[in-house]
Amino acid sequence: MAQALKSAARYPPKSVRVKIKRYSPETGREWWQVYEVEAYRGMTVLDALLQVKEKRDHTIVMRYSCRMGVCGSCGMVINGTPRLACQTQVSMVASEENPEFTVEPMKNFPVIRDLLTDFTSFFEKHRKVKPYLIRRDTGEQENPKTEYRMTPEELLEIYPYSLCISCGLCVSACPVSASDEGFLGPQALAQLWRYTADVRDEAWRERLEIADDENGALKCHFAASCSAVCPKAVDPGGAIQMLRSALLKYKLGLWRKKSISGPVPPLEPTGEKMPLPPEAQTLPGVDLEAMEREPVVIDASRLLD
Amino acid sequence: MAGKGERRFLKNMPGWRASFNPWILRLPNNPERLAFVLHRITGILLVLILFVHITFTTTPATRGWEFWVEEIKRAQGITPVTLYFFIFAGIAIFHGLNGIRLLLVEFLGCCVGKPEKPKPPYISATLRASQRTLLYIVFALWIVLWMIAGYIIFT
Ligand code: HEM
Ligand code: SF4
Ligand code: FES
Repeated sequence: MAQALKSAARYPPKSVRVKIKRYSPETGREWWQVYEVEAYRGMTVLDALLQVKEKRDHTIVMRYSCRMGVCGSCGMVINGTPRLACQTQVSMVASEENPEFTVEPMKNFPVIRDLLTDFTSFFEKHRKVKPYLIRRDTGEQENPKTEYRMTPEELLEIYPYSLCISCGLCVSACPVSASDEGFLGPQALAQLWRYTADVRDEAWRERLEIADDENGALKCHFAASCSAVCPKAVDPGGAIQMLRSALLKYKLGLWRKKSISGPVPPLEPTGEKMPLPPEAQTLPGVDLEAMEREPVVIDASRLLD
Repeated sequence: MAGKGERRFLKNMPGWRASFNPWILRLPNNPERLAFVLHRITGILLVLILFVHITFTTTPATRGWEFWVEEIKRAQGITPVTLYFFIFAGIAIFHGLNGIRLLLVEFLGCCVGKPEKPKPPYISATLRASQRTLLYIVFALWIVLWMIAGYIIFT
């Protein structure tokens, strides 16, 4: 998304033509519709779509929420590239020479209406990989006394995958998901690896068996399109290859999880009080007792000079 | 056509086209996709070529050795047969070279990006990892070896 940073500072053309792929579930009709809206510096494609919805045509249907690339609702195919509409600058997709850009619903998802896609199967697949920590000692997990140990290095092993916002862009770019509805897809498989590689998790055998399923990791052909479109650099393509090689070694009896961490021992209260160093209690020239008696007055005029 | 009052989802899957058309989506920074498409096409063509090869190598049994020797003698300079060999060489060289890269990446998990803290501009680690360098080497070697093969076949 390197261009997005540069294009935020550029001016888009005065007015842009938003060409939207529409679909009506009642009639089954698909058609393109073009709307002209005024553009301004910093306008995102989502802003443009909302302008269309507010000022041109109320019947346009789309999904969005946070407007800042966090919720993962606004995935669309913009000028042929799967992107988050709220993270795509209009100045990036439209120019003075070509003020028209296209917006289509994400591919590989059933379209409900216009730009709105159905995520039922996406979340079902996510659920299939058991995206949560599984412990043998469920009693302890339900009533934890302390946290599980995890070093910064162990966190980094799973950190990029944990940033997934479930936007589905990776699935819409995947050529395997394009022809195979059963395929778990890059998002679910990256999450499968995220929990398998997590030192706090104890269900790696169970998850590797899920990855070994005919719809699992072995269907990946490493086109890496998932990694190319992911707005959070989750790198599902890389995660799947690590999962796949772990799976191969596991099936040959050569792989097992390096370490599994447990709860850190609780700190025993000693009753001892740590004294503050004297200089921490009062800074020079500060009279704590006097401050407690006096009301706090903030004089703005004094701040200015 | 949906009936009255009935709502139907649109199945929006490009299907097999996504495996054969690398430009079905505009994917910046993704030559791996082109390699995937080429690998698939060359894999399928290799299966077809294998059948042609089997048919040709059975000709001594069906038509006699004279026919075989004649055919080999005729494969000099630029003829349909040598052109076919040339195309076959291109297909086989790419599939083999890229196949080695895929074996490293898919079976050994080698050359993909290590997990890291994503930073702007948010480019996935695998797209910057050594598999990308390997891919460029595959493309370059492919052209070089294919040219050498062409020289050997046509002279
Ligand atoms: C140097 C020898 C070869 C190597 C290293 C090699 C390697 C590979 C690899 C690693 C794959 C999996 C690709 C993926 O996961 O997307 C593959 C797929 C395939 N190969 Fe080969 N291969 C070789 C020779 C052949 C030959 C001689 C044929 C045909 C008779 C062939 C036909 C295929 C086919 C049809 C596919 C499936 C393509 C797909 O699903 O995309 N390969 N090859
Ligand atoms: S892996 Fe990336 S592209 Fe895929 S759903 Fe998560 S955030 Fe979106
Ligand atoms: S609206 Fe939340 S990611 Fe775009």
